[in-house]
Amino acid sequence: MKLIAGVDIGNSTTEVCISQIDSEGKMRFLSSSSRATTGTKGTVANTAGIIDALGNAMEKIKKPVNELSLIRINEAAPVIGDTAMETITETIITESSMIGHNPSTPAGAGQAAGMTIYLEHLSEGREETPYIVVAGSGTSYDEIAKTINQHAKRLFIVGLILQADEGVLVENRLDRKLPIVDEVKRIHDIPEWKEAAIEVALAGQTIRMLSNPYGIATLLKLNAEETRAVTPIAKSLIGKRSAVVIKTPHGNVKENILPAGEIRIHAKEDCIVSIDAGADKIMEVLAGAGEVQDISGQKNTNIGNMLEKIRSGMGELTKEQAGEIKITDILAVDTLAPVMIAGSLAGETCMEKAVGVAAMVKTKQLPMEKIAEELKKQLHIYVKVAGVEAVMAALGALTTPGTKLPLAILDLGGGSTDAAIIHEDGNVAITHKAGAGELVSMLIQTELGLSSRYIAEEIKKYPLAKIESLYHMRLESGAIHFFDEPVEPKYFGNVVLLKPDDMIILEDDIPMEKIVFVRKEAKKKVFVKNAIRALTEVAPEHNLRRIDHVVLVGGSAEDFEVPEMLMEEFANYKIVCGRGNIRASEGPRNAVATGLVLSYIGAGNDHK
Amino acid sequence: MQIDEQLVEQIVRIVSEQLKENAGKNIEERKADTSNLNHPLAAKGTNPKEVVIGVGPAFQTEIKSTINGLDLDEVIKTIKAGIEEEGMVPRVVKVLKTSDVGFMGLEAAKLSGSGIGIGLQSKGTAVIHQKDLYPLSNLELFPQAPLMTLEKYRAIGKNAAKYVKGEKVSPIEGENDPMVRAKYQVKAALMHIKETELVDPSRPMIEWTEVQ
Repeated sequence: MKLIAGVDIGNSTTEVCISQIDSEGKMRFLSSSSRATTGTKGTVANTAGIIDALGNAMEKIKKPVNELSLIRINEAAPVIGDTAMETITETIITESSMIGHNPSTPAGAGQAAGMTIYLEHLSEGREETPYIVVAGSGTSYDEIAKTINQHAKRLFIVGLILQADEGVLVENRLDRKLPIVDEVKRIHDIPEWKEAAIEVALAGQTIRMLSNPYGIATLLKLNAEETRAVTPIAKSLIGKRSAVVIKTPHGNVKENILPAGEIRIHAKEDCIVSIDAGADKIMEVLAGAGEVQDISGQKNTNIGNMLEKIRSGMGELTKEQAGEIKITDILAVDTLAPVMIAGSLAGETCMEKAVGVAAMVKTKQLPMEKIAEELKKQLHIYVKVAGVEAVMAALGALTTPGTKLPLAILDLGGGSTDAAIIHEDGNVAITHKAGAGELVSMLIQTELGLSSRYIAEEIKKYPLAKIESLYHMRLESGAIHFFDEPVEPKYFGNVVLLKPDDMIILEDDIPMEKIVFVRKEAKKKVFVKNAIRALTEVAPEHNLRRIDHVVLVGGSAEDFEVPEMLMEEFANYKIVCGRGNIRASEGPRNAVATGLVLSYIGAGNDHK
Repeated sequence: MQIDEQLVEQIVRIVSEQLKENAGKNIEERKADTSNLNHPLAAKGTNPKEVVIGVGPAFQTEIKSTINGLDLDEVIKTIKAGIEEEGMVPRVVKVLKTSDVGFMGLEAAKLSGSGIGIGLQSKGTAVIHQKDLYPLSNLELFPQAPLMTLEKYRAIGKNAAKYVKGEKVSPIEGENDPMVRAKYQVKAALMHIKETELVDPSRPMIEWTEVQ
């Protein structure tokens, strides 16, 4: 009888599986353990973590570590992933020609057209002209209301633009109700004595006149030519709750396309694709290119810089010359990033088009032999580097109840999505694809405009809820949950992340529904797309329908919604897909360690 | 923190001398002031949009400005504006049963149709409270009255209204000055004593339609 250990060194966790083999060669699993990896994966610094994990596992069966007769460690896949993001459009407002934003408390409702006039100049106003009054925050709300009430007897005042957040306060003091747009920070940039149109939407609605070119034409009496010119303004005001459009000679909203550059794919035949064509086109060209040797971007363009950044970052990590680093796969994803509009008066942001790219770099073999030697030296136990990670994971996944050959596994990691398939004849096909958890975090961060990547990571991992009172919260599913004990007042009114034993307050003021939407979309864009890409590559004849079973393993398989998303998607191909349950007890974890132990029987007694 | 005891003693002496000088005038004023008695007892609100501001017993009567000289008429107007801008309805009551800001806030919250109340001592210390909380727990507390500004009072009103609406509330930026205690301790104590002297448990809370 002897004891052997399988050790899987991952990017974030080191996992151990201990098994006993009796004289007849029968195997029995005894225990397993898991702890954080020490140091960067594939470096000698991992040894400390491995020894600790072995100690933990052996302690569970009350045996000293030196009773082990063999330790098998994995041959880590030499792929590392990185991500980058660039916006490819830019919106500019010229001549302060419009305001379109969502003040938290707009006042009044309706639309009107008139001439802009500053509050101080009201006495110069003429009786026959309708006016839209512009008031800075230097004047208090009651004074503004008083002045307007006074002049309203003589002048025809149709609208009001305020700098301070006092729309409701002024409205409550006016004799006649007006549409009021408040919180316009750069109010003094509004040109005076110009034709303008103002609109405030009814509660719960968005503006209808100013987001329609003919609506603007009606209010500002434009001809066909001018109406065509204001179309971009109308488009940029869609979905706003309040807006002002000012008629100036050259005022408009422009969307500039930034020179984003081209991607050059070096394969059998070089292919070139422009970033402007969008992520779908890039991925299509990439799929058609065949085996990829390297991918580069046009010099001095956004994409060129992005890929260079990834290349040099990877060079630093692996201590190889940047020129030697080959990018062998990328995943491009279309996204939107909130960017402050140039020339805006009220600090409006615009969702600019952006492209996120995850790239994968193949490096030289990681020095696993060195780790093996170090372990041998410290523990005096025979250590063998045995088998490729993905193959071992597939073997381990086979211990999930209800699986059979041919079996495919999907390992959803941080930097890359890996797939492997074992056929009945024992043949194994594997692939690594760029883009996984880290790209999802980046998409969440950009689209929500979050200040830190850490919060994006947390949003990715945990479901949300809104604390509606000290006694209950509304879960993202819409259900109400009551607390056993009232929560601390600091949570009141906040959107929180539900960690298993803690609630994290999200400081950014974003509606829960929007966060949920962005999170799900990001996961679909990356995980579902990559799962199909990776499995298609390893599937017999590249036909997904030839796969029967897909077992999800790895960290992201523990995600609370990704497995369900994949299950739904694969149901279309009549594939059985689900979270792995290694040895019917470990869940999606420990697949590689288990595979390493299992492969010992197949490999024969290769040590004396 | 080390406080020079001699210095404190000296300040106390000067201040009390000052007070003695003004003593005659003060009594006269208090005699003339019966305004607390002219107000009806405060009733429980039914409007779900209501935020009740509970002010201290000496508010606008014996004490006219906060510890750092902000006019109380302005302070109460500003808090009300903050509530109004968010579309909620302010109501002011005077709490006579206590001069402790935590309890004042809680009593105001219990009267409030929305369950959210603001406690405001005459010296300027403020708290946002909710009817179901313990007195010494609260939603937001602004303990250093000497550092308060009208902008902060506006934000208090705004935040209180946002709690009513169940919206996300951005915490008001707090300042902390370790010297404030030393500088204002005596003045704070005297203002608080003055307020506490006016506590009248027989009339726990009265409607306070602004004294101009």
